[in-house]
Amino acid sequence: MSAISMLNPKAEFARAAQALSINISAARGIAEVMKSNLGPKGTMKMLVSGAGDIKLTKDGNILLHEMQIQHPTASLIAKASTAHDDVVGDGTTSIVLLIGEIMKQADAIISEGVHPRIIVDGLNIAKESALEVLEGLKLDLLMGRTVFVDVAQTALRTKIHPKLADHLAELCADAVLSVVEEDGKTADLHMIEMMEMQHRNEYDTCLVKGLVMDHGGRHPDMPKSLKNCFILTCNVSLEYEKTEVNSGFFYKTAEEREKLLSSEREFIDQRVKKIVELKNQVCPKDSDKSFVVINQKGIDPISLDILAKNGILALRRAKRRNMERLSLACGGMAMNSFDDMTADCLGYAGLVYEHVLGEDKYTFVEECKNPKSVTLLLKGPMKHGIVQMKDAIRDAIRSVYNAMQDGCAIPGAGAFEMLVSKKLTMQASQIKNRSVLGVNLFAQAILVIPKTLVMNAGHDPQEAILSCMSSDNSDGSGDFYVGEPLQARGVDLNTGKWIESGWAGIYDIYAAKRQMIDASIVVATNLLLTDEIMRAGLSSLK
Amino acid sequence: MALHVPKAAGFASMLKEGSRHFSGLEEAVNRNINACKEFAESLRSAYGPCGMNKMIINHIEKLFVTNDAGTIMHELDVEHPAAKIMVLASQMQEQEVGDGTNFVILFAAALLEGADDLLKMGLTPSQISDGFEIALEKAMAILPSLSLGEIKDFRDEKQVYNAIRTSVMSKQLGNEDLIAKLVTKACVAVIPDKQTTFNVDNIRVCKILGSSIHASEVMQGLVFKRNVETAIIKKSNAKIAVFTCPLDITQTETKGTVLIKTAKELMNFSQGEEAMLENQIKAIADSGASVVITGGKIGDMALHFLNKYNLMAIRLLSKFDLRRVCKSVNATASPKVEKPIPEDLGYADEVYVDELGDTSIVVIKVGTTESKIATIVLRGATDNYLDDIERAINDGVNTYKGITKDGKLLPGAGATEIELARQIESYGETLPGLEQYSVKKFASALESFIKIFADNSGKKSNEVLARIIAAHHAGQKNIGFDISDDSKDSLIDVEAAGIVDLYNGKEWAIQYATKAAVTILIVDQIIMAKRAGGPAPRPAKGGDQDDD
Repeated sequence: MSAISMLNPKAEFARAAQALSINISAARGIAEVMKSNLGPKGTMKMLVSGAGDIKLTKDGNILLHEMQIQHPTASLIAKASTAHDDVVGDGTTSIVLLIGEIMKQADAIISEGVHPRIIVDGLNIAKESALEVLEGLKLDLLMGRTVFVDVAQTALRTKIHPKLADHLAELCADAVLSVVEEDGKTADLHMIEMMEMQHRNEYDTCLVKGLVMDHGGRHPDMPKSLKNCFILTCNVSLEYEKTEVNSGFFYKTAEEREKLLSSEREFIDQRVKKIVELKNQVCPKDSDKSFVVINQKGIDPISLDILAKNGILALRRAKRRNMERLSLACGGMAMNSFDDMTADCLGYAGLVYEHVLGEDKYTFVEECKNPKSVTLLLKGPMKHGIVQMKDAIRDAIRSVYNAMQDGCAIPGAGAFEMLVSKKLTMQASQIKNRSVLGVNLFAQAILVIPKTLVMNAGHDPQEAILSCMSSDNSDGSGDFYVGEPLQARGVDLNTGKWIESGWAGIYDIYAAKRQMIDASIVVATNLLLTDEIMRAGLSSLK
Repeated sequence: MALHVPKAAGFASMLKEGSRHFSGLEEAVNRNINACKEFAESLRSAYGPCGMNKMIINHIEKLFVTNDAGTIMHELDVEHPAAKIMVLASQMQEQEVGDGTNFVILFAAALLEGADDLLKMGLTPSQISDGFEIALEKAMAILPSLSLGEIKDFRDEKQVYNAIRTSVMSKQLGNEDLIAKLVTKACVAVIPDKQTTFNVDNIRVCKILGSSIHASEVMQGLVFKRNVETAIIKKSNAKIAVFTCPLDITQTETKGTVLIKTAKELMNFSQGEEAMLENQIKAIADSGASVVITGGKIGDMALHFLNKYNLMAIRLLSKFDLRRVCKSVNATASPKVEKPIPEDLGYADEVYVDELGDTSIVVIKVGTTESKIATIVLRGATDNYLDDIERAINDGVNTYKGITKDGKLLPGAGATEIELARQIESYGETLPGLEQYSVKKFASALESFIKIFADNSGKKSNEVLARIIAAHHAGQKNIGFDISDDSKDSLIDVEAAGIVDLYNGKEWAIQYATKAAVTILIVDQIIMAKRAGGPAPRPAKGGDQDDD
């Protein structure tokens, strides 16, 4: 009987061996669920929300978010790995699998009477060596477009159909390259807008070097397609706004009211007139130039009418984040007042046109001179397909960006994990104390990643891993030696044999692997060292 | 979210209460396939010209009698996740092409049925889906070679008539000639000489109870089920002024208060107001306009002056209707009451009120050629009947739209499917790997359409199928299934009979269906959250928007 139940009879608790077994079974359970999703050959999961909406995914991050996990241990693991996703954007499933495998292996040793603390000590040694291997595996590549495409491809292929992944990989790489700053390292990924269009085919997805907005001109007579456009981005109300204080008109005759009415109107008309004047100034008659107004605030029907009569395309109630993007894509400044508006404040786009899809209107701003903000236009016949693509692209963009920042990549397809395992096994023979158990444990556990990859592809995991590991990367003296990183061997999932992943263009992200080792060991140690789980807060308020 | 210290082991205990979780081949894949099969089974009998109607009462107790798969699915509110994926694919077909929705469902289900057999043989879902994708690629490669030619001039009524007729026939057997003629006439009339794009919205349908379908007609211009506001009910050679605002005394945006101190001021105020309104309406009349159409209210006083200046006034409730009027009569809508400039005025040959049965309608008849909008006035005995015919017309109009985009035609009546099946089957023989099984299943899924045709028209499906396949093997690739009893062997040369399908429609339908089937196959786990309670179903919406 725990002391806690004396103090609070309603407390729920689990102690010692029971607590550990809860932790272990949860970690294994959640890993079991996610297992089938890992890698390019993994299968999908179908999530049905409370409202009956369908989501198809094999992205670990999305799964953990949507599964509504209630188990405390499982939710701890889920939180750790989704936090990892927020930082590096990829590798969620790997973390969950690795934690699950460490716990599984630990279970066996603990049942033989080993204290968890000893395992934890070993794990920490293993962590240090694993990170050393990671440093040695850095591929020194020329960080150009080809590498980024490969990085994006590796990330995308684990999430969507390989053919589609190849198509999207180029788009992702190009998108990141367009928004990157001059220093070639930093970029604001928010400047890559993703616009969904439920239309045609996934393969029609394209990169628009400009902006796509999901609304159109609000007047039937406005032009639908314009070339050589000056773009005025503004945040100025072109409709009647109530005064801050309570106010009213007093009038005696209908004429008086008419006067009040027109002066009330004039306020707005003045602003519209300013736009029209500017338009006439920059677009002389019979030139092929045209004028577009994109306003964050509203434009009332009468103003729209005036603008339409002058051949100006006006969009109202643009999203705020689009305003920032517009000035990055087209140049120019977003105006907050028309008082000192000059031609310098205008942006430029070669082509602005409206596309109508059923009841939805889209406005494309294209052919910008030097766009620092681009749009990925996602197309697909089904909503869930588009969402799936969107999640995959988000991860791929993150991967490309991380590779850019790290300035290096790691050979993928399980190469890193197998080398770590090999090194740890060798190292273990040098360790004289009991922490060798933990080191050996991790050496076995990390193999779960290549094993699962192979298993999902329908090959024999033992055989495939043996074929990779038997390649001789050590000189036989027992000292670990990585060799040329490009020659590190991974598994070819199509054949089940080994390939040199670096040469094959299968790249993993340095930051993701580093995080994976870190996070999984930290979480696993926490779980192993837990000896009591209790829930003894306020008893229900009911 | 309150976490509990768990007692039971297993994955189910990790999820929120009420969630369900299915995984593996038996629980997820087979379950999905069965659900899809059952769902398709109920739509199967509605396919083709001899398909049976279904009577559906939806969640707001509205009654539908139709064999249009799009409507059936829409009203059924499918809940099973796998069946829902098929429905989504079919709805996409509806949006992209506007016809061929049932084809998508039946083909996807036929593929899944084939996959079911293969799963029992021991193939894995991913092998099957790979095979389907190979077959799809091959089908897309074969399809252009089956084309029966192309409609080059889509203003030629004769050429487009056949394609529209085939599409209408599958919904309204017996009336197809009549309806196809109406649709063809309306569509060709609204497409201007220079323009090549066609907007489905330019063909309106006005349903009026009474009389029979044979009294239906095509009208250049617009017809609304409304009455006019003023006493004048007919104007010929009308100039039309369109306003989007109410026709009344204008109000300021800021709250206005009339400040009156003496009785005289009160008198003056009313008089001034009257005079001003009179001036405004007089200005409209002076500009030459004889008909006023507005989107807002018409005040009593304004009505008085409209009558006085011999103007006809119509009030339309929908702003989209107002835009259509503008488009049709070539007017520009003005957002405030002012004297319209001559360019803004539209022109119609006749604007008049008519009574059909006991419904009064406003007809805006535009000259013979200039109108950009045509209305098909449908007559019929019951609402359900009219709705069903409208759906057939929509399919026809969408087919016309397809023609304007891409005029390529394929043989109809199942001939395309059989020819595709034949070629894919022989292609399957050449494949070395396990894919050949699923490629062959793809072919037999295509053959199932002839069976459905035959079953629905009460013929012996296996015999017919054999005869048609034999004909195709003999090189007669335009042989399809004859639904009528004219020919003894139920074969028909579709090219001679003029039964043609749109290339575009078939292409998308096969793609969407395969994609849906593949998606359903590669799901190995389903995790369902507890069904949310949600609010009660919405009360009945106020009728069709076209009716107001």
